[in-house]
Amino acid sequence: MSDFIDTKKPFSGLSALLYIDAKLVIPIMIITLIGLVTIFSSSSGDLNLVLKQLTRIMIGIITMILIAQVNPDNLKLFAPILYLFTVFLLALVLLFGVGNTADRWLDLYIIRFQPSELMKILVPLMLATFYADKPLPPKVTYILIAILIVLIPVFMIMRQPDLGTALLIGMSGAIAILLAGMSFRFFLAGVFSAASLIPILWLSMHQYQKQRVLTFFNPESDPMGSGYQLMQSKIALGSGGFFGKGFFNGSQSKLGFVPERSTDFIFTAFGEEFGYLGVIILMSMYLFIALRGLSISIKATDNFGRILTGALSLTIFVYVLVNVGMVIGFLPVVGAPLPFMSYGGTSMVTLFATIGMIMSVKSHQRILRK
Amino acid sequence: MKTKARKDSIRKRKNIEEKYSWDRLSDSDHERKSHKARALIATVIVISLFLLYMVKLYRVQVSDHEYYSVKSDSNRIRIRPIQATRGIIYDRKGSILADNISTFNLIVKKELIKDKKDFLKKLGLLVNLDKNIIESIEKQYKNRRLKDITIIEDITLDDYSKIAVDQYILPIIELSPKSKRRYNFPESISHLMGYVGKVSNNDLDSSVVKIHEGMTEIGKLGVERFYQNILSGQPGFEKLETDAKGEVIRILETKEPIRGRDVVLTIDLELQNFIYEKVKKKEGAVIVMNPNNGDVLAFVSFPGYDLNLFTKSISNQQYTDLLNDIRRPLINRATTGQYPPGSTLKPFIGMIALEQGIIDANKHVNCDGAYELGNHKRPFRCWKKDGHGDANLSYALTQSCDVFFYRVAELTGIDSISEHLYKYGFGERTYIDLYGEKSGLIPDRKWKLKTKALPWYPGETLNVGIGQGYFLATPMQLTLATASLATNGETYTPHLLLGDKNNKTNEISVYKHKNNKFSTLFKHPDYLEIVKHAMWRVVNEKRVGTASSMKKIRNIEFAGKTGTAQVYNLDKGKTGTKRLQDHALFISYAPFELPEIVVTVVVENGGGGSATAAPIARDIIEYYMDKKSTSVSMYE
Repeated sequence: MSDFIDTKKPFSGLSALLYIDAKLVIPIMIITLIGLVTIFSSSSGDLNLVLKQLTRIMIGIITMILIAQVNPDNLKLFAPILYLFTVFLLALVLLFGVGNTADRWLDLYIIRFQPSELMKILVPLMLATFYADKPLPPKVTYILIAILIVLIPVFMIMRQPDLGTALLIGMSGAIAILLAGMSFRFFLAGVFSAASLIPILWLSMHQYQKQRVLTFFNPESDPMGSGYQLMQSKIALGSGGFFGKGFFNGSQSKLGFVPERSTDFIFTAFGEEFGYLGVIILMSMYLFIALRGLSISIKATDNFGRILTGALSLTIFVYVLVNVGMVIGFLPVVGAPLPFMSYGGTSMVTLFATIGMIMSVKSHQRILRK
Repeated sequence: MKTKARKDSIRKRKNIEEKYSWDRLSDSDHERKSHKARALIATVIVISLFLLYMVKLYRVQVSDHEYYSVKSDSNRIRIRPIQATRGIIYDRKGSILADNISTFNLIVKKELIKDKKDFLKKLGLLVNLDKNIIESIEKQYKNRRLKDITIIEDITLDDYSKIAVDQYILPIIELSPKSKRRYNFPESISHLMGYVGKVSNNDLDSSVVKIHEGMTEIGKLGVERFYQNILSGQPGFEKLETDAKGEVIRILETKEPIRGRDVVLTIDLELQNFIYEKVKKKEGAVIVMNPNNGDVLAFVSFPGYDLNLFTKSISNQQYTDLLNDIRRPLINRATTGQYPPGSTLKPFIGMIALEQGIIDANKHVNCDGAYELGNHKRPFRCWKKDGHGDANLSYALTQSCDVFFYRVAELTGIDSISEHLYKYGFGERTYIDLYGEKSGLIPDRKWKLKTKALPWYPGETLNVGIGQGYFLATPMQLTLATASLATNGETYTPHLLLGDKNNKTNEISVYKHKNNKFSTLFKHPDYLEIVKHAMWRVVNEKRVGTASSMKKIRNIEFAGKTGTAQVYNLDKGKTGTKRLQDHALFISYAPFELPEIVVTVVVENGGGGSATAAPIARDIIEYYMDKKSTSVSMYE
């Protein structure tokens, strides 16, 4: 395992000191920088917004570094407590939440945050912890317990209602369980039984959620409503062309045709101004992060590390696919942010925490092996 | 820090090792391999999905770039036309017939309406909301492309000031300025002027008008239509960049509109109004034309209608009322009304017979009140039951003897009559500068066979000889034909345009009469003199001429010919019964020696030409001669 000792690589000294992984941090830094530039442009030069986002990134980086210091074993210890506490918070949101259409926010007087965002990391963490001391491939009982661990928060978040986040968390849970070694036969059976639940899901969905799904299948049906967003998003991307309209020249985003251009549709705003070339660079960064995460997962020394890093890095990539898929019309508009780019607090901090955990697993192993 | 963490981790590792037996972790090599396989599958899936996305993004961003670029621009860029000021229309003396006034639309921005019911309730306190207005507001409210709702069109500042007093009730309504066409004396000039209205699909298909990008209004009828391309100018535009809400961010480009050219008509407004006041209670047409150049001095089709009704959106009710009006005010009788000319055709029939050598000045026909034709059971009657006795052409014209012309017509024959009537402009449009002119009808054998599938009967020739039967002429054609007599064959295309002027450069272009000069060759000036003298006798020979009982005009003598046309007309009323209607006609020119004007009068159901039509012409001639000294055209 000599490849863990990589003293020749840049920042390796500092990296080792801070338990961070330069191969993960550098692409993330590039993405956040792209995000800041795009927010600056799509807000027509609102420095205030950029500074707020920068502050969140700073908080995120500090969180990431702090978590990277934590020994994975300690992560394991805290996982059940954090998980249960956040389930409790979700219950609070359901009872006393604040927000517009969907009550997702918990007002803690000092900060307002979305417990559902926390769940995005806690579910893979909890599953990795759960499987850490179980022989793999897991027994059916353990799989069922794991599914329960996933479904409890998923249903609570669906009730908020935040279908997008609920599905994403469900997805990250599924990834973790699959990585744990569940047989594909069992998985397929699960998928089919989940598919059979779709009518029930449909009935329990809110009108606007149904509308979005319907619009996804027939965007022209409502060119002024939810189909409008997708249409305008494609127009923005398409009019960007290969080289883009140039920094600060994205008319679609700037003039308000693209909705949520700093948050859910930030990819569109970026693609319009920087073109396919920019998109290649950005998407490659995300791909690199995912592959790096998987590489760490493969080299991890225990099941906890393997499942945690694998699930988390795949989850981040799934977020990217969901967000980008939404703005190019692959998937319905569900309201999912683009990792490390979208304007917003909780998501930025939890994503950095995710990276922090991956790095914690990676860097502590190396030390252990030395 | 490093060592502490290291110690910690080693300690925890030991804890775990103590807690669980090594047996349970002994399978870790298998687990590692199994996980590696799954992670590699995941890697393949990740890369595949990445590639799939990149292909889709390539399609959108690179392959379909052109398509989306156009969409993006059409999203962002709005063209706002700036209407050109329409040219002003003057009469020959410089009086304004049509100009533009600033009016206002009462509008409200849709986004400011929070509660539609409440808005309508408050609006009802300010303006009189009838059903049409509410309907139109609802319609505009639903149209998502509209940002503003026009509540009332064309209100004046005075109207608005009344609303403004109480505007605190509904502060969101506002005025949007616009230019509107205004017609002075809208009824008197209605048929020659026409009006402007919104560009319609018919206009877009029309080949005679040029529709510029952004034009919203267009001349629909009359001079407004015929000189549309001169009057309208060219709209300018503003290329605007707007945001998603439609708010203007900046102006990218501006092109100023080109103002329309001002137009001067040959019409003498005072004369026109004088005539219209005289005849507006009747139905018919009066035309006054200068035969020496074709200038139409007065062009009256009565009754007229209020042109200004059409410049705002005329209500359906008003329009239906006009359409259904039994007096049919929307019909331009001067150029589209086709009448049997009755005895006013006789001078031309006489001329043809003279020129063809059928008759001469001394040819006499005995009139005993009726004319027998071959095997016709009933004789053809003269209007004078007792007959005129022995009559030559001059006397027959003066007395309007029918029998004489029955005979002449029979002798000349329909072929010759129809062929030579074209020479006077009958059977063909006069090409006055108005659209929709009718060409009247000169019947002949071919025509009858074609339209009625019947041969020509000799009796029908007799009817044409006295201007009855199938023969039809418009008042404009009668005017042109009379002019050819008055000027000994020199005629000009009748026209309403005197000239036009570029309002900016003052560049003037005058209508060139010489280009439209036509000569009708008469074989013998003597023949013309016989007819013209007879027309003088009609007016001036006491107790003989059919129009001689009128009061003389001081110092002026004029010539004319009366006509009374009997028409079987299907009354389009509910009864469906046939009603006999007499049209009164009179053609004339004055002064007799050096004609300056030709006056044609047609009064529908007017009774006798001598009793109804001739006095109108006499008064017009008197008025014209009185005012002549003060008549100075803008272009003279």
